[in-house]
Amino acid sequence: MAIPRGIVARDAHDMQAMLEGIRSLLMFSRRIWDLLLIATLLTGGAFIWATRIAPGAPATAQAPEPAATQPAPLVGHPAPGFTLSAIDGSQVALDDLRGQVVLINLWATWCPPCRAEMPAIQQVYERFRDQGFVVLAVNQQEDATKVVAYMNDQRLTFPALLDSDARVGAAYQARVLPSSFFIDRRGIVRAVYRGPMSRGMIEGAIEQLIAETP
Amino acid sequence: MHPIIELGPLNLGSGALLLVIAVFIGHTQFERIARKRGDDELEQRARRCAPFALLGAAIGARLWYGLFNWDMYGQSPGLFLALRLGDLAWPGALIGGALAGYAYLRLRRLDAATAPLADAAALALPPAQAVAALGLLLSGEAPGAPTDVPWALPLFGVPRHPVPLYYLLAALVTWGILVWFAPRVTRPGSLAMIYLALQGSAMLLLEALRVDSLVTVGGIRAAQIVGLAMLLIALWQKRAPMERAL
Repeated sequence: MAIPRGIVARDAHDMQAMLEGIRSLLMFSRRIWDLLLIATLLTGGAFIWATRIAPGAPATAQAPEPAATQPAPLVGHPAPGFTLSAIDGSQVALDDLRGQVVLINLWATWCPPCRAEMPAIQQVYERFRDQGFVVLAVNQQEDATKVVAYMNDQRLTFPALLDSDARVGAAYQARVLPSSFFIDRRGIVRAVYRGPMSRGMIEGAIEQLIAETP
Repeated sequence: MHPIIELGPLNLGSGALLLVIAVFIGHTQFERIARKRGDDELEQRARRCAPFALLGAAIGARLWYGLFNWDMYGQSPGLFLALRLGDLAWPGALIGGALAGYAYLRLRRLDAATAPLADAAALALPPAQAVAALGLLLSGEAPGAPTDVPWALPLFGVPRHPVPLYYLLAALVTWGILVWFAPRVTRPGSLAMIYLALQGSAMLLLEALRVDSLVTVGGIRAAQIVGLAMLLIALWQKRAPMERAL
């Protein structure tokens, strides 16, 4: 069927005008796009920075406040007590370790930063264990077999405890895994660190707490 | 939390099982959508391209995970090849898959198919991601920050943001929007850009609620950088002249 010439021409013309309109709109809005791009970059960057995992308080031991007597997972408070089964079947009570420096490390095998800091903890443990330093690796709700396999595999020799109902995790408000609590010889929490620690950080804190007289 | 699904004598990790199902869904959807939106030829190309994209995604996911856990992976590089489905990271999968797919099409001189296939991938990925996110939820992975919101789910003894659930919703919303746009856009590559904008925003915002993010220098979460980059690429493509877009 033949199409009347006029209609095609007018349609083509309209199309042309429409394209022209769109093009000018795009040209005009390019500057808006530029602004939008920059605004997105800046707000996005600011958001990323604001929500980064801030390196927590450095693991240097602070002096305890005298008034803090309630057990709490906070610096200066007595460490909340607990008794848990170790992977070798023995029962470990925090109170029995009074007089020693204790690092309580809340962790799980599924947590990459936890696994990352384990070798550092092992090294510090080997260096200070004869001077009264104990590590309690409190595993969060995993099977004993899984924990045993991991500890053997990684050649970790400090006690791994099974917090199977996460009661200790809750008492220590484990918001982030790993979470580490440095307990002095009197049973007072002296430093809290959330997130993975380097060997230097652990060593610095333990050195200081070991040096204190019992 | 149901990390293990018992099927008679078999104990299957729910995360791994749903990941495999997700890959299957994504793969079949990709080819189906390529045929529906294109023709038999495009489907052929999708079929040839998909194995390379999947391989690239697997390599990228493990590399990403390993490089951001260098303390562990650097000590035992064998872990890069270990068959552990937990040690994978989505941003690496997305980048690796996209690069491998693009490289394949480029080498085979099928550049014209790149944008239509990117659109097909954009439509196929969200349902797959939703299933994978369900796997994360069941296996208790990607734990969120503790919170008091009424929809918080207990994990490790504390009520937490159900981050996998958020990712699941984000995937469904992305899918819905893409399905709505699918018959309405004409320019090839547009759907892929919409996908990048939506999923980029989701990664940027939701990753902030995770407590097990992979981090780079200064504690910055790596996935957020990727999310922001995806969003910026999408905006840049929209801003750039049409001829240059894809």
